[in-house]
Amino acid sequence: MEVLQLIVNGLMAGTILAVPAIGLTAIFAVLRFTNFALASHMTIGAFAGFVANVTFGLPAVAALGFAFVIAGLVGVLSDEFVLKPFRRAGFITTAIGSIALTIALENIVRFIFGNQLRGYDLPILRDWNIHGIRVSPQQVENFVVAVIVMAALFAFLSFTRVGKSMRAVADNPMLAAIKGINANVVARLVSFVAMGLAGLGGMLIGLDTTIDPLIGFKTILQIFAAAVVGGLGSIPGAVVGALVVGVGEELSLLVLTPAYRTAVGFIAILVVLTFRPRGILGQRAY
Amino acid sequence: MGLLTATGVVAGYGAADEILKGVDLRVEPGEIVGIIGPNGAGKSTLLKAIAGLLKPKAGAIALNNADITGREPRDISRMGLAYVPQEHNIFPSMSVRENLEMGGYVDPKGAKARIDGVLGRFPVLANKRRHAARTLSGGERQMLAMAMALMVEPAVLLLDEPSAGLSPVAAEVLFNAIIQINKEGVSIAMVEQNANEALAISHRAYILVDGKNSRTGPAQALAQDPEIRRIFLGG
Repeated sequence: MEVLQLIVNGLMAGTILAVPAIGLTAIFAVLRFTNFALASHMTIGAFAGFVANVTFGLPAVAALGFAFVIAGLVGVLSDEFVLKPFRRAGFITTAIGSIALTIALENIVRFIFGNQLRGYDLPILRDWNIHGIRVSPQQVENFVVAVIVMAALFAFLSFTRVGKSMRAVADNPMLAAIKGINANVVARLVSFVAMGLAGLGGMLIGLDTTIDPLIGFKTILQIFAAAVVGGLGSIPGAVVGALVVGVGEELSLLVLTPAYRTAVGFIAILVVLTFRPRGILGQRAY
Repeated sequence: MGLLTATGVVAGYGAADEILKGVDLRVEPGEIVGIIGPNGAGKSTLLKAIAGLLKPKAGAIALNNADITGREPRDISRMGLAYVPQEHNIFPSMSVRENLEMGGYVDPKGAKARIDGVLGRFPVLANKRRHAARTLSGGERQMLAMAMALMVEPAVLLLDEPSAGLSPVAAEVLFNAIIQINKEGVSIAMVEQNANEALAISHRAYILVDGKNSRTGPAQALAQDPEIRRIFLGG
């Protein structure tokens, strides 16, 4: 029963982790660099949701929309004015630039909100016990929100002209330009959606625990591991990778103390890069 | 003034790099124009400069009497010119139908009818419309690349080595499709390594050597020229 409980916990955590992991991998697929500033955008989303929920009194679900939009807008501006000039210098330079950006943005959040832990205004509910498996209503709500968001994203990419143009740029940027797809518009759109997902993911994690300015920084390794394990650049891969990392971390508790469970992300990257360098689903964008 | 004219085009891939050293090209309505020459002559570079992927350093390019020199590829595409690159000319992870949608991206109105029309022309693609493009054979990929180009109902189609890497049977099917497209009113400028085949289906041809025009004339006459036969046609 303990193993089943850990697997359920892992699937719940992995599903939430998949939301920002999709953002990381989408940016890699279209803009061809790993944007570590995703960490600070998770923090920005978590705090934007906090303002909407605690200061303005919006319900948590509505505050999630606020988190998405604010983090997405900051993502577009930070990419346009900070990271875009780096891209000419290559993907490693841009990735390093994104680390500097994330430190700067995180400290702006710290300057405004301080360092203390904060919690959302949520009703206190008892955990559910389903055949011996305990889950909290908040966990289930977060899980459902994450699944709906991912389904909406897949529908957007599959059925809309704009979504298909994003996939086309990810697939073959030169041909996309020949066919008249504006790469700059797609880059802004990807930054908005990806960083919006990061902000949403930051708030979802905060809803289950607490938030502080390091919430994104503490999670970025797991997100990076999820994207690499699934196949950096593959959106379905990010979901699979997040579930592998989420379940793997929980199952590691059978043999490790909780302090060491973040090692699972490193180990997953090591194993995948050794035996399947392109990740579980390869590097196809979609 | 032809449907498509390039005059004195100078272009290359770097500031000091000049692959094209003043090339002229003219395509009249209803023509297939072959562009042949040795490797490094600048044939593909010429098509890229016309399609807007390379900005010419000098010279002028006009489509339907409108200056398109140095304009963005999407603007040139909207004006009725479609370009099919030699390689990487499909979106491999997208379905055949989605590739066609992206082919007509600049003109989304009436796309469904145009997709049906294009699929009617290429039955092999119609049968695989839901398949990922990466699963197609080499010949089918070239068909798809041409079908994508036809989605904008171009006045001029630029083809860069359409038969490269294809089996003789697949190449023959492709050349027949090119002839059929031309008969339906699309003018075609085609770079082709297979000089015999290019001259056989072209009305006129240009021979480029070292980034310059070497010879120009009716394709049949060039095919009979002893010097050209010796250099390009294997005897």
